[in-house]
Amino acid sequence: MTETKRTLESRLLRGAHRTLTGLSPAFESILAAVVGLLIGAILMYIWGFDPWKAYIALFKGAYGGLYEISSSLSRATPLILTALTFSICLRSGMFNIGAEGQLFMGATASILVAYVVVPAPFGQILGLALAAVAGAAWSLVPAFLKLTRGVSEVISTIMFNWIARWLVLYLTIFLLRDPMRGEKTISIPVAARFPVMVPRTDLSYTIFVAVAFALVIYFILWHTTVGYEVRAAGLNPTAARYGGINNKRTMFLSFILGGVAAGLAGATITMGLPPTYAIYGGAAMPQLTNVGFDGMAVAMVGRNHPIGIIVAAIFFGGLNAGGRVMQFYGSNPVPLEIVRVVMGAIVLAMAIPELIRIFPAVKKQGRELTGLLRRLTRRAPKEGEA
Amino acid sequence: MSLNDVLSLLRISLHAMVPLALTAVGEIIGETAGLFNIGLEGILLLSAFMAVIGAKAGGPAVGLLVGMGVGAFVGLLFSVINTYWKGTQMVTGIGINLFAMGFVAFGLIQLGAPGFHDVPKVAELAKVRTPMGSMSPMILVAIILPFLVFWFLKKTRAGLMLKAAGESPEAADVAGININRIRLYATTFGGMLAGLGGAYMSVAWMGLVTKDLSAGRGFISLACVVFSGLNPLLALLGAFIFGFFQALAEWVKTLPSKPIPAQFVSMLPYIVTLLVVSGAIGRVRFPKSLGVPYKRE
Amino acid sequence: MSETQTAGAPPAQATYYLRAEGITKVYSDGTVALREADVELHSNEILGLLGENGAGKTTLTKILSGLLPPTEGRVVSPRGRIRFSSPREALDFGIGMVHQHFALVGPFTAAENVALSHDRPFTRTQLAKTTERLEALMEESGLHVPLDVPVEKLAVGEQQRVEILKVLSRNVDLLILDEPTSVLTPLEVDELFTLLRRLSDQGTSIILITHKLKEVQSVTDRVVVLRHGEMVGDVKTSETNTEQLAQLMVGQALDKDVRAVELSDKELPIKQIRDRAKREGPGVLHVEHLTARGNTGEITVNDLSFDVHGGEIFGVAGVEGNGQTELVESLTGLRVPTTGVATINGTNILGVSPRQIYRLGVAHIPEDRWQLGLVLPFTLAENAILGIHQWKEFKGPLSFLRWGRINAHVRELMDRFEIRATGPGAPAKSLSGGNQQKLIVGRELAKDPAIIVASQPTRGLDIGSAKYIRDLLEEMRDKGRAILLVSADLDEVLARADRIAIMYEGRFMKVCYPDELNREQIGLLMGGVSNEEAP
Repeated sequence: MTETKRTLESRLLRGAHRTLTGLSPAFESILAAVVGLLIGAILMYIWGFDPWKAYIALFKGAYGGLYEISSSLSRATPLILTALTFSICLRSGMFNIGAEGQLFMGATASILVAYVVVPAPFGQILGLALAAVAGAAWSLVPAFLKLTRGVSEVISTIMFNWIARWLVLYLTIFLLRDPMRGEKTISIPVAARFPVMVPRTDLSYTIFVAVAFALVIYFILWHTTVGYEVRAAGLNPTAARYGGINNKRTMFLSFILGGVAAGLAGATITMGLPPTYAIYGGAAMPQLTNVGFDGMAVAMVGRNHPIGIIVAAIFFGGLNAGGRVMQFYGSNPVPLEIVRVVMGAIVLAMAIPELIRIFPAVKKQGRELTGLLRRLTRRAPKEGEA
Repeated sequence: MSLNDVLSLLRISLHAMVPLALTAVGEIIGETAGLFNIGLEGILLLSAFMAVIGAKAGGPAVGLLVGMGVGAFVGLLFSVINTYWKGTQMVTGIGINLFAMGFVAFGLIQLGAPGFHDVPKVAELAKVRTPMGSMSPMILVAIILPFLVFWFLKKTRAGLMLKAAGESPEAADVAGININRIRLYATTFGGMLAGLGGAYMSVAWMGLVTKDLSAGRGFISLACVVFSGLNPLLALLGAFIFGFFQALAEWVKTLPSKPIPAQFVSMLPYIVTLLVVSGAIGRVRFPKSLGVPYKRE
Repeated sequence: MSETQTAGAPPAQATYYLRAEGITKVYSDGTVALREADVELHSNEILGLLGENGAGKTTLTKILSGLLPPTEGRVVSPRGRIRFSSPREALDFGIGMVHQHFALVGPFTAAENVALSHDRPFTRTQLAKTTERLEALMEESGLHVPLDVPVEKLAVGEQQRVEILKVLSRNVDLLILDEPTSVLTPLEVDELFTLLRRLSDQGTSIILITHKLKEVQSVTDRVVVLRHGEMVGDVKTSETNTEQLAQLMVGQALDKDVRAVELSDKELPIKQIRDRAKREGPGVLHVEHLTARGNTGEITVNDLSFDVHGGEIFGVAGVEGNGQTELVESLTGLRVPTTGVATINGTNILGVSPRQIYRLGVAHIPEDRWQLGLVLPFTLAENAILGIHQWKEFKGPLSFLRWGRINAHVRELMDRFEIRATGPGAPAKSLSGGNQQKLIVGRELAKDPAIIVASQPTRGLDIGSAKYIRDLLEEMRDKGRAILLVSADLDEVLARADRIAIMYEGRFMKVCYPDELNREQIGLLMGGVSNEEAP
């Protein structure tokens, strides 16, 4: 019986987002970031760049001055929200990879505010509301499919990402196109835009939307019965059900909240990013693309906690902002795509604490193999040998 | 629609089928053994890119081999991690996808042009002239392989051991099978096949590599696996169906008058995948220990 | 190292197959599973290994079959070293075990499952050969199973036969069976025993692990009895009877110097019951003809009818695996029974959701506290309100949690129930088992229930915590609550329950007052021998 207990316990332990190396979670994330940067440095070196100079340029470009910090924060804003999408759903035990698509839909929905003549602040509120609804709606179907037919939410949300991408492309080209400048949609009307917070930067007050939402999520998760049920359902669905919690309803709710977050992320981009305040760029849609996926990295590094996410978002936002500077750095321009490599490496490095436990297992495998070899080459034991 | 159009459609479908079929069959082997690899998308992208580098250095054969090697390596990585918590499996998969996206984008710039790179003719795997147009010989490989794997899984002892490891690790353990080692082989081989699929895309089919060449194919392959119920032959069918819709999307774009906006047609493969997966889930049966690490107690 | 008996011994007992000397096994968490056990096993012999749950039977067999190393002592055999690194190696050596939980691959047929444990490559010709061999084996052994049906579609009895055939096809010299009859019908049991006797005559050594006295009587040559990790008896079956075995199995304190503290709580006097009149008639919990099936589809709760009254502890005793888990699950909303009635003060509680159950006044101390009772990563406080988090006292407007009040409540609980922890914010998994259990009990009692269903409440707890919980239950009883206590710890039930039922194979062998029976009778009932049959 004791052995069964221990398996259950270790499984539950892993189910919690606890560190297994005994280090504090924050320290683990920092360690992963360092490893990620290291891997980026190695790659840069292989391709002939000077990593040290590159990183200096990167960090200067991220935090070197007011303009730079504002840039980083501006990029952090939508990341906070898409990270929350992933985290909220993870807390209830689901993998919502659909932030990308939900963000697209949210951004598009917010553009609709251009069709209504409303004074501020109602314009902003309306825009956010439209985006939130669109994001939530887009996450509803995968949630529904999962809960009624058991369809893997991983597959369904990815499919919805791609569908959204094409749908939004269609809408921006045909329905919402700016008649004067074909490569973008109509812009958010001035009254509905979020004012710029730091002049001559692209940081607007949308950051408060993001931070406020993060704090709201924090309160919901740890200070309301709703959030309590979400966390319980994610950590131990059996005990949760036993405590009278309706797990299905809880998971559904978390998906909706996640969709709202991603939708809002889209709105912060359209309504808060000068100078265009629109979706542009043709098929590439650069300001919207990859924000969803990067958000997942932010969520993991931020340990799925709203506060951690805010910090991690600022870091990743800094990587993005700094990357833009780094690629123009005269003596040693490094393409900013290396930043995504670093992000991926950081996420992989987050698996290291688990990997540390792998080493005993690898050693064991090695011992097994050598033991096997030895036995094969040794003669069979004689009768009666102990 | 003329006969030409139909043949054209068929030809493109067959080409589009290849990466899906290869990846799906590889994943079937892995899932039969009880492991679930979510980094297929990343493998496709990485191997497509690395294959180009290899092909430029040593020709198309080298390119394909490099792609397989990359895939095998990532598969190996996965199986090691897969002996642990399911969450780590997911995190690693997402990490690999992110890493691949960045790495390929970065590498493309190094090769010359941001976003895409044309594969020089010498590095491409030559297509063969057929009545249907020029087709890649890899199509044949993609058709034959599922049959081989099907035979392997059903009729050989190794295949049975694989199934046992996935279904009932306890029974397999008693039968003297080293569960984790079997899973290692399975995922590495599966990764290798996905790597071949990715290499095919750049070196043998499209002749170019872009930073989102995979376009969700990794996940479509997963859907294919679900549809197939772990039967390689059904996976081949599924790959063809999905490939057909991708081809349809391409073909509609070439029409002079567009009855449906191109974007909606582009959505088609994904919608179809969704429908198929939603419908298929009910009747499909997966190995009991899928995604669950095995520890002998 | 090799030894052979002298020529004077009778040929049937000429050589021993293996011998275990001074086996002690202590697990890494300190549990002493076995203490200085000595066993000798001969060829041509069926050895019965008898004992209650936790007596050490499985551990001993694992050590005897070479899969687990003893902490002290050794296992020797004239045939070679008894130390293997996998069940497959043990099979190659000649030791085969048929487990309680079958190691079969569901979608494979019987033939494929058997072929799996053989060495040859798996081609069609080999499969045909295996099938041929199997058919011969089936004739020989009398065990018949369809060979081409996936085993997951076979009945449990048939599945077990496949397991046995699998092992037999390897020509084992030592066959170990772990509680094989728990899934067989009486007819199948007879067939199995006939087979075992035949095998034994042909030279195979057999170990039969069981807790069923009748089986031991009918098929074994020798019996070894384990109790709390110690060998308390090693006798020829012909020289003993079920009473004696029952006594040994359930028994009295042994005359060795065992730690007094361990025993003092175990050997409590059986209580004398007053107020018998109060315990007749319908109670708070009323159960009629309750029947339920287990996860494998077998009937595990078999037509039970009983009442639990306010102000009494109704104890259900019996070896685990006789339907107790399914009974509790049926009464607490975790399992839908097949037929029957169960009500709390007149309201039905069958097939009802856990949330409803709680509203009807049922509190449940679950058997598996980690899966059902607690969310381990949660703090003490968060666990303390699980199930009652919607109370107005804890939930404010906009469903905000009133942590102030919750923490105060938790501190009260910690005080009242002597829960040792650093504070309400301590993670539940940092608590010891005893404190975790006290937390659960405290939480359940806070619900002010009409009835408390306590399932193995003191399992795995230290002496102090165990006593505490038992005292607590008695306190609740004195306050008028109804308590259903299900426990495999016989001493606990006898010492604390006001009425007891002895459960065996889904039925209550007897429902009575604890002082009506002596230990020996109870032991017999637990082993399935009803009063009428005892000689």
